[in-house]
Amino acid sequence: MSVLTQTRQDALNLFEKLGLPTQRDEDWKYTDASRLKDLLEPTPVDENIHIKDMGITGLDAYRMVFINGLFAEAESNLPEGVSILSLAELEKNSVGDDAEGIAKLFTVDTQAPLINGFNAYNAAKASDGAVIILADHAILTKPLYILHISNQSNVIRHSFMIGQHAQAEIIEHFISTGDNKALSNSCSFVALKAEAHLEHSRIQQEGDKQSHVARVQVKQCKKSSYTFHGVELGAALSRTDLVVNLHGEGASCDLNGLFVLGGRQHADHHTRIDHKAPHCTSRELYRTVLDGRSHGVFNGKVLVHEGAIKTDSNMSNGNILLSKNAEIDTKPELEIYNDDVKCAHGATIGQLDDKQLFYLRSRGISAEAAQELLTFAFADEVLVAMRNQTVRSYVEKAAFAKLPHSDDLEEMLGS
Amino acid sequence: MLEVKDLHVSVDGKKILKGLNLTINAGEVHAIMGPNGAGKSTLSNVIAGRDGYEITSGSITYKNDDLLEMSPEERAWAGVFLAFQYPVEIPGVNNTYLLKAGVNAKRKHQGLEELDAFDFMQTVKEKAKLVELDPSFLSRSVNEGFSGGEKKRNEIFQMAVLEPSLALLDETDSGLDIDALRIVAGGVNKLRSPDKAIVMITHYQRLLDYIEPDFVHVLADGVIQKTGDKSLAVELEKHGYDWVKENK
Ligand SMILES: Nc1ncnc2c1ncn2[C@@H]1O[C@H](COP(=O)(O)OP(=O)(O)OP(=O)(O)O)[C@@H](O)[C@H]1O
Ligand SMILES: [Mg+2]
Repeated sequence: MSVLTQTRQDALNLFEKLGLPTQRDEDWKYTDASRLKDLLEPTPVDENIHIKDMGITGLDAYRMVFINGLFAEAESNLPEGVSILSLAELEKNSVGDDAEGIAKLFTVDTQAPLINGFNAYNAAKASDGAVIILADHAILTKPLYILHISNQSNVIRHSFMIGQHAQAEIIEHFISTGDNKALSNSCSFVALKAEAHLEHSRIQQEGDKQSHVARVQVKQCKKSSYTFHGVELGAALSRTDLVVNLHGEGASCDLNGLFVLGGRQHADHHTRIDHKAPHCTSRELYRTVLDGRSHGVFNGKVLVHEGAIKTDSNMSNGNILLSKNAEIDTKPELEIYNDDVKCAHGATIGQLDDKQLFYLRSRGISAEAAQELLTFAFADEVLVAMRNQTVRSYVEKAAFAKLPHSDDLEEMLGS
Repeated sequence: MLEVKDLHVSVDGKKILKGLNLTINAGEVHAIMGPNGAGKSTLSNVIAGRDGYEITSGSITYKNDDLLEMSPEERAWAGVFLAFQYPVEIPGVNNTYLLKAGVNAKRKHQGLEELDAFDFMQTVKEKAKLVELDPSFLSRSVNEGFSGGEKKRNEIFQMAVLEPSLALLDETDSGLDIDALRIVAGGVNKLRSPDKAIVMITHYQRLLDYIEPDFVHVLADGVIQKTGDKSLAVELEKHGYDWVKENK
């Protein structure tokens, strides 16, 4: 058996050992994954997807399209001189020593936090993915836009390796067509060398019968910086494990999350930041706006290891429930094993601020529009950190469309 | 323009205003002074329509309408404006955008067309100049990160854009430096006109040197204890509030 086949087989064995998480697992207490059991298997590409005009329009970016988990080269547009490859291609063409390196891309690090059966399954069954290797000092001149379109279950596995002093922006966008019940199982592995910088967005906008399970695992070397924007708008059920390892001195991460949910949608983010080296900074801002019978789950854990002196960590989670049937479970967790740190964290659950509402109304804005405006502003504040204005305004519009809004407000924001 | 009659207001069962009477005519400028906790902000909040105040008896008539029946936004559309003692910060809501929404909501209510975006921006810039508000404040979130004095200046800027008939300025002078006070007062003076009225709540006679009032009222123990002209403020400064109570 080749080393690659063996690695895949190991992952499958691990999956069989782990099984899917159950609600008896502390980390899956609020999210019922059992109903995803029959949706795991990836289904090959469906040629019937018309992808013209899909995704974020007007975005000046390199483009990689994946249809049901397979790279659609014809729809893509890649930069020259930068190593952006298809994982499936790599796997197919691998021989000898190469194979060993490629096998690493399928290895499951069982020691990493929040590893679960979906992750093992992903390594065993991934159909394809983007493998991006940015050389030292390279700068990706345009953002790379990775558009995932699906109408079937799919398993996708990306690796982003950003060299020393290199810089990139990567936007992952997930949409679906039709109304199949299907599962997207996605993993993105990010490795940032010294002083590398990556701005990474994940915009999940799949159909309301879809489910989405994701893992984003980041390892940061010295003085690297990582900015994450996770936006959950779609899917019936979505779960993301975001795991950041601040491994090198002076590394910093900035994690932003926004859920705008309605109906019976369920979204769960578990984030874990490990401060392992001195002088690292982490900042986390998560907000949810929940309507209908939707359910949000946020668990943010920061672990400051011994020796990680001068750690500066700030986490804040805010939630607005627009309906009395909406529900949020939030738990910021902080574990500190040294004294020389500055850490703050907190969560709020609430309705809108009376003083702000009155202020707006006293300036002539109707009660209804004032409420909607404050709700929108609350959500929008997470997006302020998004530097790409085209992406930001796309997300704003999509979020706005999901929020209750009167003609008044639409008129106001539109003009 | 405004007629407050025998107004009784409680908060959480505590009586704050106890039969207050006040008449304000178009073209007039009134100053209300009085000790801390007397109920001055309560009065202005009740006029602007803030929740949480229990009006146990009395009435407020504004331009022949029952003000107490109107929502805060209806009052704004009818020309009532309150410059807050403590303006709230509203992250994520753009200052100019708020004003545009406010102006257009009012116009819509009056059956007028929305203002053209360009014309609106011209007005905004002109008014910002009037109160010497740095244009960078226009694109910032409402009051977010503004200094105390900047917030007050922003209130007067909003007033200038919204062009109310009845402006209530709740301690707008507190927290302003000497130059800012002169500038803001200048802005207020430019808005004086025969069809508008201004009510200034203040602790300092100094403001009245800049904006000359027609009447000065002393509010204490939930009622207007004394009404006079500008000289009353000078007397107050000399003798304090106990003097008022003794010389009713
Ligand atoms: N929401 C509230 N809950 C409880 N008490 C209140 C509330 N609002 C006002 N009060 C009380 O009502 C009284 C009058 O308050 P108000 O703010 O009107 O005073 P003021 O005359 O404006 O004082 P200052 O000069 O200090 O601004 C005070 O004793 C205050 O504590
Ligand atoms: Mg007051």
